[in-house]
Amino acid sequence: MKSLVCVSKTPDTTSKISFTNDQSALDTGNIQFIMNPYDEWYALVRALELQEAQGGSVTLINVGPAANDAIIRKGLAIGAEKAIRIEADPQSALFVAKQIAGHAKAENYDIIFLGKETIDYNGSEVGGMIAELLDLPFISYASHLEMNGNTATIHRDIEGGTEVVEVETPFVVSAAKGLAEQRIPNMRGIMMAKSKPLQVIQQAEAGDLAVAVHFEAPPPKKAVTLVDPENMEELVRLLHEEAKVI
Amino acid sequence: MINQYIHFRNLRFLLHEVLDAEGLTRFEKHAAYDREAIDMSLDAARQTGDLHLFPHYREMDKDKARFQDGEVWVHPTLRPAIKALADGGWIAATDDFAAGGQQMPWTVFNACLLIFYAANGNAASYAFLTRGAANLIRTFGDENLNRTFVPKMYAGDWQGTMALTEPQAGSSLSDITTAAEPQPDGSYRISGQKIYISGGDHRAVDNVIHLLLARIKGAPEGARGISLFAVPKLRPEGGELVANDVVTAGIFGKMGQKGYVAAHLMLGEKNDCKGYLVGQPHKGLAHMFLMMNEARVATGIMAIGTASAAYYAALKYANERPQGRHPSNKDVAQPQVLIIEHADVKRMLLFQKAVVEGSIALLLQCSYYADLATVGLPEEKLRAHLLLELLTPVAKSYPAEMGIQSVSTAMQCLGGAGYCDDFPIEQFYRDIRVNAIYEGTTGIHGMDLLGRKVLLEDGKAMTWLLEEIKAAIESARAIDDLRDMAEALENTVRQFHKTTMGLIRLAMEDKPEVFLADATLYLEYFGIVVIGWQWLKQAAIASGSLKDSTAEEEKAFYGGKLITARYFIEYELVKTKGLDERLNRRDRLTLDADPAFIN
Ligand SMILES: Cc1cc2nc3c(=O)[nH]c(=O)nc-3n(C[C@H](O)[C@H](O)[C@H](O)COP(=O)(O)OP(=O)(O)OC[C@H]3O[C@@H](n4cnc5c(N)ncnc54)[C@H](O)[C@@H]3O)c2cc1C
Repeated sequence: MKSLVCVSKTPDTTSKISFTNDQSALDTGNIQFIMNPYDEWYALVRALELQEAQGGSVTLINVGPAANDAIIRKGLAIGAEKAIRIEADPQSALFVAKQIAGHAKAENYDIIFLGKETIDYNGSEVGGMIAELLDLPFISYASHLEMNGNTATIHRDIEGGTEVVEVETPFVVSAAKGLAEQRIPNMRGIMMAKSKPLQVIQQAEAGDLAVAVHFEAPPPKKAVTLVDPENMEELVRLLHEEAKVI
Repeated sequence: MINQYIHFRNLRFLLHEVLDAEGLTRFEKHAAYDREAIDMSLDAARQTGDLHLFPHYREMDKDKARFQDGEVWVHPTLRPAIKALADGGWIAATDDFAAGGQQMPWTVFNACLLIFYAANGNAASYAFLTRGAANLIRTFGDENLNRTFVPKMYAGDWQGTMALTEPQAGSSLSDITTAAEPQPDGSYRISGQKIYISGGDHRAVDNVIHLLLARIKGAPEGARGISLFAVPKLRPEGGELVANDVVTAGIFGKMGQKGYVAAHLMLGEKNDCKGYLVGQPHKGLAHMFLMMNEARVATGIMAIGTASAAYYAALKYANERPQGRHPSNKDVAQPQVLIIEHADVKRMLLFQKAVVEGSIALLLQCSYYADLATVGLPEEKLRAHLLLELLTPVAKSYPAEMGIQSVSTAMQCLGGAGYCDDFPIEQFYRDIRVNAIYEGTTGIHGMDLLGRKVLLEDGKAMTWLLEEIKAAIESARAIDDLRDMAEALENTVRQFHKTTMGLIRLAMEDKPEVFLADATLYLEYFGIVVIGWQWLKQAAIASGSLKDSTAEEEKAFYGGKLITARYFIEYELVKTKGLDERLNRRDRLTLDADPAFIN
């Protein structure tokens, strides 16, 4: 299989998030970035497993600035053989999808993998857009993927159950938990990542159809009120009058 | 940034801002370890800790190692944990590429080791004990031994051990009696017994290789007659593994580290135990000691890893537990405050932070010296080597002894919850205790420090250490807010130096037992001084970075460094006064005390 794995960076879940530019942009000043876990743990690892079982190649792609190289090299340390970064400061999902589709069009990948969403914006948009731009089938939320020749059998997580679909390559698939088991880069991989090719290419012309104008953080958590287990009336009163949930 | 057992930001601060670990790339051996590679290594260590170690820490204690039907049962999560560390390349990480390693600097490796030990010292210890044993074979063993044992050990399939202790020979290794008789095939027939052998037998590996000290028949008495052997549980013979007459008599029921087995081994009861000489005959202790600095620094890391995990558990609790009100507020209608609001709880937390982060700084400083001593330019090499020699007893004992107090204080922060097993603190408290006992008791390290290390190369090591401390004092003195702290340390160091000279004079005037009588107190004094040095160094850097920080989290991080450095000077450094006074008395009280009167 010739696979392309789209990887993006997200803030480490323990980072404290704040905004700048009149609440219209994330303040990245002090944020520790990681590779989006759905990309790293599931999409990339399943692509590697298919390569190990059947041969082929795994290429990483990221749309972003040079600061993303450390995250891309982590993917190389985990096992991908080469990577492409499209030099850009992406503002929207469509912009990212157009860049990736622009590259993928000429490359004839069998499978384009992505995570089901990034854990910061939770958009789940890029995969569908890439598929549309390349006129390929898109299977989202895959928790299981088996190949038989050129036919993939994919389990999709759906509300309350699982849907099983079959699709022929080429296709685009977004990875959910269960698609593979997280791999940690070993020291050999970390050392080798440096010498693997990371090609930087210029962005293609592409407009944004939507831009973020304002972010709001959720209100801070309130302190916990402990209620004596014997005092049910007080609990009911609090739920009714203060929490206003009953 | 703080996960449940380690403060990741603190490690990056020490490696990148205090020590310039990336600067080691100037040496060819470590050229690949730029900042990105260092961070990626730390990150991989953290993921390994999160995934394979930390989740099993408590289960390994509850479902402890046990001896049944002649076999040592260990928790089923141990085999995958050892494998994960081996597959990650961690067992051989510091070795050369040619030897299957990754040429990782000690400074980076020990930061990662701290992550593993903090996540689950019980499990990680097996793998890193194997590392030490394999390293002995690699360094001193012949090609055949290397080929037979090392790859399996590095792969995590075979366990390595350090088998020194015998019932009559613990601190005093010169009293070892295990015998080795030369055989026509070049091997030796081993007979004797070993006790407390960590990782000595268990079912999470396929074989166990003991790096064992024994006496070749006819060897000179004492330390000069001890040799080092590789003694496998199963020996390779005719393409198969056959039993090598190493029998586990049982395992010890321990206070803590219950997942980490300590075995009692009987060797050669059927006259069929083969050992293979590693290195030169009668040089066994010397060979072993070459690896001792590494093992001792690792013990300090293990201790402070446990104290680190306990501190972050206590910190979390103190930020969540409401109890009581400020002394000026008697109004019970007012809500209770979080216990972190109480001055005494803040004192307890600052104490832990001071001990944990101060010890980590010292341990990484020693690791940095270990790197320079290996790859440095000729003049830095000697200096780094002597500084490491001098500091090793302190880097082992301060984290071990003060770590115990730190975990005890963590327990105090939780009150009753700390004592009960709904929270992990009681396990940390049991687990940390042994670090002051194995790899040389604190008493033995006190004597090593005062009796040997202080006078090393005519006191050159000590002179160089004082120079290093002075440099930190001068940097801090140049910063207005730190001047008083710099002067406090300067005064203490001046007095410490005077007292040291007085003790050396005493050594020349009287029998060694006189000046060594309070060596443990001297070690304690020394420990406080060098941790003070490490705090002042951190404070000087934090003070500069604080000015350049805008993000709240960063300001809090550097502010935390500054307040803890001050805490150390105000609350810990002052403790040297009593020690100093005692070490200047010449009354010989303990020396002359009649054992009959200690009743
Ligand atoms: C859990 C555990 C795991 C261990 N793992 C290993 C292992 O893997 N391999 C191995 O070889 N050993 C191992 N040991 C043994 C350990 O190294 C010894 O217990 C330690 O060196 C102390 O020896 P001892 O127990 O015989 O105590 P002793 O030597 O009897 O010491 C008892 C006390 O007397 C003091 N003392 C002894 N001699 C002197 C002296 N000359 N001057 C002043 N004070 C003195 C000591 O400081 C100590 O306080 C382990 C021990 C434990 C508890």
